[in-house]
Amino acid sequence: MNPNITRRHFFQDCGVGVGKIALASLIADGAMGRLAAAGSGMRSGLPHHAPKAKAVIHLFMAGAPSQLELFDNKPELAKLEGKPLPPSIINGQRYAFIRPDAAVLGPRFKFARHGQSGAELSEMLPNIATIADDIAIVKSCRTTQFNHAPAQIFMNTGFSQPGRPSMGSWITYGLGSESKDLPSFVVMSTGSGISGGAACWSSGFLPSSYTGTRFRNAGDAILNTSTPAGIDPGTQKDTIDLINAMNDRRLRLDGDSEIATRIANYEMAYRLQTSAPDLMDLSSESKETLELYGCDPKVPSFARACLLARRMIERGVRFINIYNEGWDAHSDVAGNVRNNCAKTDKASAALVKDLKRRGLLDSTLVVWGGEFGRTPMVESSVSLGRSQGRDHHPQAFSMWMAGGGIKGGQTIGETDEMGFNIVKDEVRVPDLQATILHCLGIDHERLTFRNAGLDFRLTGVEPCHVVKQLLA
Amino acid sequence: MVIPTHPARRPLSPMLRLSSAPLLLLVATRLLAVDFNQEVRPILAQHCFACHGMDEHSRKAKLRLDLPESAHGKGKSGELAIVAGQPDKSEVVRRIFSHDSDELMPPPESKKPMSDKDKAILRAWIAEGGKYQDHWAFFAPKQAPLPKGSNHPIDAFVRARLDKEGLKPSPEADRYVLVRRVTLDLTGVPPTPEEADAFANDRSPDAYEKLVDRLLTSPRYGERWARRWLDLARYADTNGFEKDRPRSIWPYRDWVVKALNADLPYDQFSIKQLAGDLLPGATPEDLIATGFHRNTMLNEEGGADPNEYRFYSMVDRVGATGATWMGLTLNCAQCHTHKYDPILHTDYYSVMALLNNADEPTYHIPPADLAQRQADHAKKIRAAEESLEGKFPGGPAAVEKRFGEWLNAESQRAAKWETLRPSQLKTTMPTLDVQPDGFILGGGDITKSDVYDLAFDRAIKGAIAIRIEVAPHPLLPNDGPGLTNYEGPLGGFFLSEFQAWQGDRRLKFDDATATNDEEEDRISDAAAAPKAAANRKKNNASAALDGEMSSGWQVLGGLGQNHVAVFHFDQPTDLSAGWALKMLFEKHYAAPVGHFRISVTTDVQATATGHPAEIEAMLAGAAPHDQAKLRQRFLETAPELSAHTKALANLRKQVPRGQATLVMRERPAAHPRPTFLHHRGEYLSPKQAVPPAVPAFLPALPKDAPANRLTFARWLFAPENPLTARVAVNRQWQAFFGHGFVRLLEDFGYQSQPPTHPELLDWLAVDFVKSGWSMKKLHRLIVTSGTYRQSSIVTRELAEKDRENLLLARGSRFRLDAEIVRDSALSAAGLLSAKMGGPGVYPPQPASVTSEGTYGRIEWKVSEGEDRYRRSLYTFIKRTAPFAMATTFDAPTGESCIARRDVSNSPLQALTLLNDEMFMEAARVLGTKTIAAAGDDDGRITFVLRRCVTRPPAPDELATMKAFVAAQRARKVADQDIWTAVARAALNLDESITHP
Repeated sequence: MNPNITRRHFFQDCGVGVGKIALASLIADGAMGRLAAAGSGMRSGLPHHAPKAKAVIHLFMAGAPSQLELFDNKPELAKLEGKPLPPSIINGQRYAFIRPDAAVLGPRFKFARHGQSGAELSEMLPNIATIADDIAIVKSCRTTQFNHAPAQIFMNTGFSQPGRPSMGSWITYGLGSESKDLPSFVVMSTGSGISGGAACWSSGFLPSSYTGTRFRNAGDAILNTSTPAGIDPGTQKDTIDLINAMNDRRLRLDGDSEIATRIANYEMAYRLQTSAPDLMDLSSESKETLELYGCDPKVPSFARACLLARRMIERGVRFINIYNEGWDAHSDVAGNVRNNCAKTDKASAALVKDLKRRGLLDSTLVVWGGEFGRTPMVESSVSLGRSQGRDHHPQAFSMWMAGGGIKGGQTIGETDEMGFNIVKDEVRVPDLQATILHCLGIDHERLTFRNAGLDFRLTGVEPCHVVKQLLA
Repeated sequence: MVIPTHPARRPLSPMLRLSSAPLLLLVATRLLAVDFNQEVRPILAQHCFACHGMDEHSRKAKLRLDLPESAHGKGKSGELAIVAGQPDKSEVVRRIFSHDSDELMPPPESKKPMSDKDKAILRAWIAEGGKYQDHWAFFAPKQAPLPKGSNHPIDAFVRARLDKEGLKPSPEADRYVLVRRVTLDLTGVPPTPEEADAFANDRSPDAYEKLVDRLLTSPRYGERWARRWLDLARYADTNGFEKDRPRSIWPYRDWVVKALNADLPYDQFSIKQLAGDLLPGATPEDLIATGFHRNTMLNEEGGADPNEYRFYSMVDRVGATGATWMGLTLNCAQCHTHKYDPILHTDYYSVMALLNNADEPTYHIPPADLAQRQADHAKKIRAAEESLEGKFPGGPAAVEKRFGEWLNAESQRAAKWETLRPSQLKTTMPTLDVQPDGFILGGGDITKSDVYDLAFDRAIKGAIAIRIEVAPHPLLPNDGPGLTNYEGPLGGFFLSEFQAWQGDRRLKFDDATATNDEEEDRISDAAAAPKAAANRKKNNASAALDGEMSSGWQVLGGLGQNHVAVFHFDQPTDLSAGWALKMLFEKHYAAPVGHFRISVTTDVQATATGHPAEIEAMLAGAAPHDQAKLRQRFLETAPELSAHTKALANLRKQVPRGQATLVMRERPAAHPRPTFLHHRGEYLSPKQAVPPAVPAFLPALPKDAPANRLTFARWLFAPENPLTARVAVNRQWQAFFGHGFVRLLEDFGYQSQPPTHPELLDWLAVDFVKSGWSMKKLHRLIVTSGTYRQSSIVTRELAEKDRENLLLARGSRFRLDAEIVRDSALSAAGLLSAKMGGPGVYPPQPASVTSEGTYGRIEWKVSEGEDRYRRSLYTFIKRTAPFAMATTFDAPTGESCIARRDVSNSPLQALTLLNDEMFMEAARVLGTKTIAAAGDDDGRITFVLRRCVTRPPAPDELATMKAFVAAQRARKVADQDIWTAVARAALNLDESITHP
């Protein structure tokens, strides 16, 4: 028996286990408030510089939207329609489905200029057009991957195969949490299935508590937050108290600081049982707000996820992924873009507007984009029954960013007349990642983790840079 | 690498290894000499070797600090890097302490500044002479004499060390703690209260040893230790990536369990997994064992490049081999020469070459009674064949009449075909071999756009048509006839275009017929499926003539897929020697044909008759009539018998074969696969071919054996190999104590932290080999030590002096693995099934885990009956949507080789234990059992707690829990619900999920 050893002893006298404890991910000044006076579990040395953004919402347009129907207007393609591109342009690029000599397909939609900045957007984005002066469009994004799963995993983890930590994990590992009673890294999914799967929000070799927490559409948003049927609230409360009392006794006997952490985690779990449903309950949202997003509170949708994301931001969640998978337009690219824009255009714009009017946009970085682009060439296949589609195109695609740290009302980068190659201001995926980290006050070269003999970082070993033009 | 000198190991001040805070003080006032291996090399490796190590491409200033003769010599600047005994004259010292950012080392742009502590160590080391030592792990271990003080070798070493540190071992743990700890460690399930009492009450002096011996023979032993091995093997039940389809490789998982239960010596256990197929007289079990490296992922996403992902699989295999057996971060040398360890960029690909010469087939494990089952099946087919005639409407007379008519008509249709053997075969990648019967057998690697060029010396006048026969073959995926082995229909092929050439002149075909022109394309790409199905054009032989690559002739694969396509020249065509056929296979997956034969005819009536070649030859008068065979063919094609012949055809497709599993199969000697160095590790940048070899700093491969997987596997276990036994022992130690002697189980290189107990590690490694690589003997040795049997209570003294328990002055306390947490709960409730082996099962979990958010979604149809309660080892592992409870408790998902799991402690774990359906069910069942077990509250509480934490409760615990019960009663909670709640609380206790 070591009656002298108490939880207080561990938390205050020894200050042990700070790194070991799951505080950085899920807790912070919540369950671990007594422990981490600094309040957030931020890693020492961080931030590396003054951050502009505290949080990120990544609207992941999975499946890869067609930049040629949305952001990158290429009238030349209409003129060339039906003819193949010269092999000198193709330059040996591998494709998933089409042959490199496939004919060109002209843009399916009209473009117009919007806002004071005169951003060129297609008619499929009438709502994003209204925030043209808040967003920075990048028409010169480039990736190395031409299949969905590897490209999505690359966008998230800086590596094309599963097993590395995702951006949300790196960021919460570095910065800790600001939420009192919600996970710091949340993943929502509203479209069809995500090609990259759980690898997209994996903590890789970082401690597993930095894994993204899925908010689900059916059943409990966070798994197991409902008390099982037959257990009344009083018993639930008493049970947790009993568990903690027994664990506290064990802590005093055995002196293992992990028991202290476990006690804190049961308290946190109990709070999550309330905080998660509270978050999901949209009854306090005004009719005007619901309409702004186009959100039916009862129906899981991209719009609802965007509204939930704003509520999470208000509650201190650090990193939010919303996946809308469904942009994979191998056939009928026009129909695909029309459908997906109907689901996402209004809500994406609403999210930016809503954050802005609540004074949250300055500290929240919003990122919109897919894992690669789509070919200027048409995809058609007799045996697969495809026509008027576009295949995967890693050489050039478009994204936009808004909010914390970003200079809105600008368009960066250019592609050639055919929209095939980038001709100005290429932004590679690691550059995007470095820029996102930069906005959060992180130097991407200095946030590293030693694994299997190497110091790993999100942006990998190739040289990359923060896209200065994007910054406010 | 370092010039070998005698590896002297000196005892070192404990604080140097234990923590860093007091180090600065110690460095300033240190009395002991600096130890190169323990202190200096890790610093040089981390900060210097990247530019001043063995990689000549990245070397700066022509200076090497990994070699003493270079380090003590002049660098480019002309200054001496290290002057023995004179730090102030050493350029190294000047540079690391420099305030000039142009001179400072490491350079500021590396963003990895050297700490003051490290600088001080380097300075002190140079002051003491700057002597180098060998790296301990790269020389074979030797057994040091046992220190006095204990008969148990482990305790002798551990206590000698504790004495030096002025620490005392903890007392032996309480008997209930002991039985719980050793039962969990050896079997992965807690002891029952009865088992625990039996041990607690057994006062014989060898009670503990008897317990250990009983546990080592439990079938649960293999299940518990298999799970740890499967982490290294990255075992899962799906392919990973987007499609993430199920795979059948559970026979490998079961092989591991059986091998561990049988205590298959670790050398054989490993050799079989790396190269079982190459063992002389390899058994089916040896083949199943090669599944270890078949657990790599498979990308079946539409349009992926199969060879790119095969390359990544090889990268994974090299890394996993290094981590599992060698304790080397080989993976660091994929892109460039290792920054710290003596592993060249070429070494990496040489190790890959050792592993890279295998095909990756699906193996059907022959069950014991396979011959009998096949004979029975053949008998059934024969009976069905023979019964046809008797079923013919109208009896024998009708048969005779119709047979005569058939013979007449079919003889008119039949053509005389001459089988042609190509004089030259050329392909984009697959291998082709002409068989004695004229069939050409394909193999090797395949691409999304394969071309076969076949040239013929045989001159033909007036050729009318070319025929391709395709037929199954047991060496092909799914028995062929195609080579498709991922994404598309397995064993199928897709002939996009078929061309004939005479020199530069394209010969014209004007139409084509095939025996399967009605078969539809089968699309595995979900995005295109439903809408496209309606306007999908049927693929057929003429589509191979239309100049459109996206259409063609295809056969989907599977047993019994004999088919024929006949391509007609537009006019009788003279073919002179050197004419050629070109076959193009293009699809978003690789789909070349794998078993085919080419024939030519000059008969104008030639068509795809559907008759086997042998029959057609008889019908055409090219071979003597075999009446019985012709008659049988007639019966099988007679429309009058179609109902019966369909059954016969189905029967032929259902040939009995064994359970499928994934294995390795060495490639045929004629077709070795070359391995190339890849510039920067990139798949698209292959450079020169590299020979199979091992890194030069390790013992050489034997000269009298082929440099292949088997030789490599055996080399790992050669007596002079310094790493294999140490790495294995260290990993076992970690399982029992929560940490190894070397902290990173997979890295014994220059950068690794030196072992906490080097003599003990080496002693155990040598003993492990002497014992015949017996895991059970090693485990027995560990758990019978006093060190293992100590209490794990963390006293204030230990908390302050050795919080991480590196010195082993107490037992180790840590949270149990995910599988053990779940199995313990099921076991406490009496629900856990003892059934072993078989396909993965689907215990309850929320439906949304697999239905939402993953592309390759599956319906998680909860298993019924016993399978609902199987050991967690048998839970189906889906890589892109893993079993939620397992992930929450840090179980890996089979994406990479894991030597040591993270042990997290999170609120999600609390929510799972509290509210998850399976744990709730366990609580209810345990609650019900509790009510039945005892009448009074004390008895019931004791019953519950003992099933969860093994030991009897203390009086104050009884009081606490009784107060809970009373409070629930006061709130009028029903009795069943009260005891469910008590059981639920007990299952949630930290102690219930902890290695005590």
